[in-house]
Amino acid sequence: MDEFQSGEETAFVVDEVSNIIKEAIEGAIGGNAYQHSKVNQWTTSVVEQTLSQLTKLGKPFKYIVTCVIMQKNGAGLHTASSCFWDNSSDGNCTVRWENKTMYCIVSAFGLAI
Amino acid sequence: MEEFHPHNDEMIFNADEAHNIVKECIESILGKADYSHDKVNQWTATIVEQSLTHLVKLGKTYKYIVTCAVMQKSGAGLHTASSCFWDTTTDGTCTVRWENRTMNCIVNVFAVAIIL
Repeated sequence: MDEFQSGEETAFVVDEVSNIIKEAIEGAIGGNAYQHSKVNQWTTSVVEQTLSQLTKLGKPFKYIVTCVIMQKNGAGLHTASSCFWDNSSDGNCTVRWENKTMYCIVSAFGLAI
Repeated sequence: MEEFHPHNDEMIFNADEAHNIVKECIESILGKADYSHDKVNQWTATIVEQSLTHLVKLGKTYKYIVTCAVMQKSGAGLHTASSCFWDTTTDGTCTVRWENRTMNCIVNVFAVAIIL
């Protein structure tokens, strides 16, 4: 992939990734209420849609996308992540989304090759 | 870190090793505790940091991402999914699920090989 060394945008652009994630979430669970039978399908479709849009950006990155959907019923949920990578080229972006019945947290990590 | 000189054909992510490392970290931090709103932030941060430190000590040429979710047990449904775009021969992932009477803990480790 020699063309990537010619000065093209090869940084992890958080805003761009954040928009991709938001669209994937809206598209998959946008107007829906929490439903136990559909949640598996929703989480899968959010991560797959996000990943495919990210790879379409054509940048020399490996990607990891995770999605958590939790029903709103008063329970506390805490998440943390720690990364051992190259700070100058790698990056991540987390989007928190909610509606009346559920929370959705999607994280995308991009590691430069 | 020139002394490592890895050959890409020998680099495989050892999921069992990572699983054990993470399980020990969780046990040592959450082992006997009950869910406590004040302490959870500190717990999740400590779990990811300690797991990461131990993984890095393995000395392999990998980049790591460790995520941890701790949830109070209250009947709510929780679903997680992840998708990865990488080199399936060298990169890998490991997920550890742990629980006690009052909380659930899910830790994911993603390891991405560094190509030198």
